[in-house]
Amino acid sequence: MKRYVLYHLLMIALIGSLAACTMRKPEDVKGYKIRLSFGPGEETKIAEAFLSIKDSTSIFLKAGKYRFDNLSIAQVSHIKIEGAGPDKTILDFSAQSQGGEGLRVTDVKGFTIAGMTLKDSKGDLIKINKSEKVFVSYVHAVWSVSDSTTGGYAIYPVMCKNVLIENCYAQGASDAGIYVGQTDSAIVRYCKAYKNVAGCEIENTSHAEVYKNEFYGNTAGFLIFDLPDLSQRGGHVKAYNNDIHENNERNFAKAGSFGSTWGVGNAAPGSGVVILSASDIELYNNNIFNNNSCAISVVSGFFIDPNAAAKMNDHYDPIPKDIVIHNNVMIMADTFPSAVYEHHTGKILVAIAKQLKVQDPSRNKSNLPFIIYDGITSNVLTHKTGPNPDNLCIKEQEEDLFVNADALRMQTKKWRPYTDVRPFLCNQL
Amino acid sequence: MRKPCLPIIAFVFLVAWLYSCQQQPARQQSAVFEFKEKLSDYGFFTGALKALTPRKGVVHYELSTPLFTDYAVKDRFIVLPPGTAATYTAHGPLDFPDSTFIIKNFAYNNPQHQKVMIETRLLFKDPADKKWKVMNYLWNEQQTDAVKWIMGKKIPITLLDDNGEKVSTVYQMPNTNDCKRCHINNSVLTPIGPKARNLNFTVAGQATGQLQQWAASGLLQGLPATDVPQLPNWKDSVHYTVNQRARAYLDVNCAHCHTRGGDAFNTGLFLEYEQADSSHLGFMKEPVSAGGGAGGLNYDIISGDPAHSILLYRMNSTEPGTAMPELARTVVHKEAITLIRAWISTTAHQ
Repeated sequence: MKRYVLYHLLMIALIGSLAACTMRKPEDVKGYKIRLSFGPGEETKIAEAFLSIKDSTSIFLKAGKYRFDNLSIAQVSHIKIEGAGPDKTILDFSAQSQGGEGLRVTDVKGFTIAGMTLKDSKGDLIKINKSEKVFVSYVHAVWSVSDSTTGGYAIYPVMCKNVLIENCYAQGASDAGIYVGQTDSAIVRYCKAYKNVAGCEIENTSHAEVYKNEFYGNTAGFLIFDLPDLSQRGGHVKAYNNDIHENNERNFAKAGSFGSTWGVGNAAPGSGVVILSASDIELYNNNIFNNNSCAISVVSGFFIDPNAAAKMNDHYDPIPKDIVIHNNVMIMADTFPSAVYEHHTGKILVAIAKQLKVQDPSRNKSNLPFIIYDGITSNVLTHKTGPNPDNLCIKEQEEDLFVNADALRMQTKKWRPYTDVRPFLCNQL
Repeated sequence: MRKPCLPIIAFVFLVAWLYSCQQQPARQQSAVFEFKEKLSDYGFFTGALKALTPRKGVVHYELSTPLFTDYAVKDRFIVLPPGTAATYTAHGPLDFPDSTFIIKNFAYNNPQHQKVMIETRLLFKDPADKKWKVMNYLWNEQQTDAVKWIMGKKIPITLLDDNGEKVSTVYQMPNTNDCKRCHINNSVLTPIGPKARNLNFTVAGQATGQLQQWAASGLLQGLPATDVPQLPNWKDSVHYTVNQRARAYLDVNCAHCHTRGGDAFNTGLFLEYEQADSSHLGFMKEPVSAGGGAGGLNYDIISGDPAHSILLYRMNSTEPGTAMPELARTVVHKEAITLIRAWISTTAHQ
């Protein structure tokens, strides 16, 4: 009996002692070993602190306006940069005289930035390169003007692992406001993007979830792209419960800046969601309204580059596959946005609408159906003729829902876009 | 029951606590390397520091094709610990022993034809973790010494370029993170310049090759008798073709970032001398993340059309966000523009 009690006491003591030892190092779990705090006017000290930053440091920037040339953090772990809130702590990079971005973060494992506004850099606003466990929270990344003079990306994690962007706001990017590129595992949620060329773009990024965001007033609301010649293929992207609306602005990506064929320069004004060459995508429960060229478009690399086949490899497949689109709410105005007529892809959309009218004079709408599919399938590579070889799956309530643009024959007399969605209706959903 | 148990509990707790806490690894005791405060503290040079007269064991070296930095005049030295040697490697930088210093001094020629020292950059291979560390030293106005300086600095200067013409600019001394950007590959900081192929030439006025001299004096081991690769001298139009010279220039000036694992890995533009994939080299390659830097152009390189090639456009710019390289260049390298323009004009699609 006595031995039994002792045994129990020993176990309790052991557990207790282990807990005690663990508790002696709370900084390993959540806290930071070094905590620094700065105010406006201390820009030089702040830049120095960033340069000499050690593992497990948090830096607090008090309310106020700071002016920086640029800032950078490299090759450390467990770092937090925090402000008093996006309306209170403002980092102004308009004095930038060198380099590609306002704040550059490279090779940081465990990086958090929260509660501040970054504005008006010459290049990108915040680029986070090759980092892991990246958390961007309550960060506003803004250019005061929205034209081709602004930088490419506002919030720009690239080649990262495990990225969470939430409660952020991006404005004025001449590419994408929130851009996640060549990254594995990313979440974008509760964010807003306004007056960018693309509100949000997920590019060559795998395992991304994009939900409860609002992308509005951009050229195009939301893009999921895979481009060739990059470090990894994207895919396995889910986007749901987003509000994607009134994306009808002209495309102010500097003409061709992002390629006249590839990239965001391609996005037609009035695009809600564009899926390009990406596979394993589920797009559902979104409100996609008043993007007045096309609510959703699904296109292959061949749509914009006849040589796309030459670029195929493990990292790139031009044909989008396994695209599931269901239960979105879509509304569109009767007329195209005026900017679409001036845009190279926009003109194609207008041409498709015109051709549909020619084929079917009873179509009283000048607009296109909600979903455009370029109709370029893996049949072009396999020489088969299946009606839906790449598993495009659509389940929507809207009428005048779909057009297969028959893009391969667009320049020929045989061109006949068709609106029959039946081969693409989901069987399982 | 309760009374005799209390001391036992306390004792058991104490033993267990001590036992479990001992399981944590002991802290490393080795001294942490710290860069010294002043360049003179190292004793690399003898006499007036500005003369950069090396002490015994401090080896001056040159590169076949060097990196361009605003027409800066550069002096390069390697300091190996006594009794050690670097080991030859066919690819990448030589394999240097622990505690090696690599010293690179930056100066410019002013309109009075005086050499004005600006900064000295150090790389040190820390024996504690076998990792290279960077530090920068800023020369004082009296030109007597340079002090540790992590912040970078904008320095207005008027220099004479390679043709003796005056150029006014604001020289950008990099901060220590800027240094890392070019020197990091796959998260590992490494030297860039002292690659065997870029050291493998005979310095003007000397009888034998630089690497052969190093091998003969015991500074370099493992140097093969033949087949040591050689990077062309980008200025040598007698011995090398435009293509070879252009590729050597791009290798040295661009490929530390524009390579797999480099800072510009995400762009897919790779400019190493041995790169054979024409798309990665930029031929008819659309930019990925060039931003406004692409200048409204569609392709990195269009064979025969330098005026519409982004690569040349960005080399020919000094605007932040457009200028390439992004760092350490505030004036256009005119001679390089001429070479790259000729290369794009005349070189057939690879």
